[in-house]
Amino acid sequence: MSVDEVQKKYSKRPYRWKLILLTLVAALVLFIILCLNVGFAPISFSDIITIIGKQVPFLNQYINPSSVSVVNEAIILQIRLPRILAGAIVGAGLAAAGVMYQGIFRNPMADSYLLGASAGASFGYTLAVLYGGTLAANILGMGLFQIVAFLGAVLTVFLVYFMSRVGNKVPITTLLLSGIVVNIFILSLQTVFELRSGQALMGIVAWIAGGFTNITWTSIYTVFPVVLIGTVLAYFFTKDLNLLSMGDDTAQHLGVNTERVRQILLLLSSLVTAAVVSISGIIGFVGLIIPHMTRLIIGPDHRILLPTSAIVGAIFLILCDSLARVATGASELPVGVITAMAGTPFFIYLLRKRKTSYSL
Amino acid sequence: MVILSVDGVECRYGSIKILENVSLTFKEGDFVGILGPNGSGKSTLLKSISRTLKPTKGTVLLDKADIYAMKSVDLAKHMAIVPQESNIGFSFTALDIVLMGRNPHMKRFQMESEKDMVIVRKAMKQTNTWHLADRPINELSGGEKQRVVIARALAQEPRVLLLDEPLTHLDLINQLEIMDLVRDLSEKEHLIVLAVLHDLNIVGRYCTSAILLKDSCIYAAGPLDQVLTSANIKSVFQVDAIVKKSPVTNSPYVIPLSPQKTSLERKCAIHMICGAGTGTLIMKALVDEGYVVTAGVLNTLDTDYETAELLRIPTVTEAPFSPITKETKFANLGMINQAAIVVVTSVPFGFGNLSNLEAALQALKQGTRTYVIDEIPIEVRDFTNGRAAAMFAELQKNGAIFIKHPSELPTLVNATHKSIELCKLDQTEIPGHLKDAVKVVHSKKQEAK
Repeated sequence: MSVDEVQKKYSKRPYRWKLILLTLVAALVLFIILCLNVGFAPISFSDIITIIGKQVPFLNQYINPSSVSVVNEAIILQIRLPRILAGAIVGAGLAAAGVMYQGIFRNPMADSYLLGASAGASFGYTLAVLYGGTLAANILGMGLFQIVAFLGAVLTVFLVYFMSRVGNKVPITTLLLSGIVVNIFILSLQTVFELRSGQALMGIVAWIAGGFTNITWTSIYTVFPVVLIGTVLAYFFTKDLNLLSMGDDTAQHLGVNTERVRQILLLLSSLVTAAVVSISGIIGFVGLIIPHMTRLIIGPDHRILLPTSAIVGAIFLILCDSLARVATGASELPVGVITAMAGTPFFIYLLRKRKTSYSL
Repeated sequence: MVILSVDGVECRYGSIKILENVSLTFKEGDFVGILGPNGSGKSTLLKSISRTLKPTKGTVLLDKADIYAMKSVDLAKHMAIVPQESNIGFSFTALDIVLMGRNPHMKRFQMESEKDMVIVRKAMKQTNTWHLADRPINELSGGEKQRVVIARALAQEPRVLLLDEPLTHLDLINQLEIMDLVRDLSEKEHLIVLAVLHDLNIVGRYCTSAILLKDSCIYAAGPLDQVLTSANIKSVFQVDAIVKKSPVTNSPYVIPLSPQKTSLERKCAIHMICGAGTGTLIMKALVDEGYVVTAGVLNTLDTDYETAELLRIPTVTEAPFSPITKETKFANLGMINQAAIVVVTSVPFGFGNLSNLEAALQALKQGTRTYVIDEIPIEVRDFTNGRAAAMFAELQKNGAIFIKHPSELPTLVNATHKSIELCKLDQTEIPGHLKDAVKVVHSKKQEAK
């Protein structure tokens, strides 16, 4: 490619980015409809479209309400749709948080659980199951377990953050090391409580493995705004993330208030991660692989990387979840197992293919 | 006119002072080299000017505005920094990197405009990196990468450019290209350029002025010929150096000498009969071994004469291209008498310097140990119709030690010098009637007096 073509390519970049995003949104909608078809009860596409259409204002007056069975309508609207939407929201949230973490840490090996959100959520959930089960309280319409898991995740990340604080700065390396240490510490506590949990152990292990079996519309209504607002706010700082990749000093010399940007993005990514973890358990690899893969395809510019990664993450997770639902017949696999199984070989392939070393 | 002034800056890390009471003023077109030994505060000075490290006292003013009171984005419109090394996290292309230089001029949601692209293109053409536009930055060579980073700095359209050891890890051609480029920019774009550099000669060649730091303070600052002096270099770097004007670039250039090994015992004196560069390596080797070396007769401006001057070796000299006169021969004999050993190198002999060989023969006959380096057969370098060859034969007959290769000499001398009476030569002891004829290059000691 000649240099002038490169220049032309750059000047057309805003249009190309818009096109990519529109295509991906269309693909997401398509995959949602396709995945609604997946499941034990056979429901045809025309029925699916009728059921969905009935829910859309203005469109519903043209649809004959009695053309589909009540059972099928319930399966689609109360079981499959919330589950798929939850998958999309969780996938988008994990991938967006992954982009933020990788940008903040200038390292493509960072993921959304780096600062202990997963360990904190698991531990919170375990405590809630063991000691809060009898309360069975519902606060804000969300399950108590979910709220405690959310709080566990948020508190852990804040603990890591404040542990790493030196003066009014938070050095990246210290943050990373504190994250690792706190993760290990909480996991060891987790083991202690798991060993004492007796009958509840199965439930705890299943939750930690990640999945969408008990998704309700309420949990979607609660988590979706957090993921959406978090990602949109993070988008304001994507140009700063580009500059941060050249190191703190250079970013500062180019006009970025690095400490503030980092604080805001850590807060946003941690809230998003904690929110999605609270409804899905620990689903690994999405926050690591999706940003990484997307970056390989569309380049490292965070202005396009953040939104595309979020949509690709959503598509990836609903596909994995659909696979989890049907892979072993009637009993389903935890989706975390599927993402890890799909992700690990791919990740090893990427590492072997691109033998460049990464540095902080 | 843009003026950058450093106003009474003091920096501390905890209780340790890194910079003390630094005040400087720079104006457009200044290309200033910041020099000093490791730990003297060079980088700290640059950091305080670039707003990376806030001074504990004093401040930095750009056009009378305190840079520490400015927003970083506003400062970035006026000041660009080229760091020592750029470690870029993701594989952005060179064009991406240079476009980032436009950040301070863009609003938060603004995409790069055509105007930005024009500026970036100009910066990349200036730095000869436009052809690298779509290459990933981390796949470029060190020199290419550094030029891209300079292009990014130029894309900021700064008035002040700071460079922190920009030549680290670069090879010679890249060092020169980058310095040529920066000098051009300071001249044509009227930038203020401040560069922390280690190479005194790069500063001598490219900068308009220099700052010499020592122990957290400014030791000297100003035009090159006032800063780059032997005395300053000795005092700041503890290195003896000769400062000359380059005949090619008319800029000062510095020839540092290896630190003298003062711990060695003072060994005996060796007199060199050499010339035309045949004695250079031997003189250096013997001085390093701790011998007192003298030389003569040498024509001034001869290569060996210049070496002797650099090494502060006392020499008996004759005017350029002139035959040795009786007086200088006599002076030379005086010097030989002080020496415990005489060394004759593989110098060509003509009628002009034949008397040096006569002097050697005379010394040998008086019992002075004489080494003859016979690397090139005498027949090849005898331009006296056989007289030099005849004297060589006589040297051999009288017991001179013939060596095939000059590198063997120091070992041989080392093995035997202890059996030789220690020399008593001291410049002050040269007999009075020889003083006029003997040109003594003053030793450091005498200079100090």
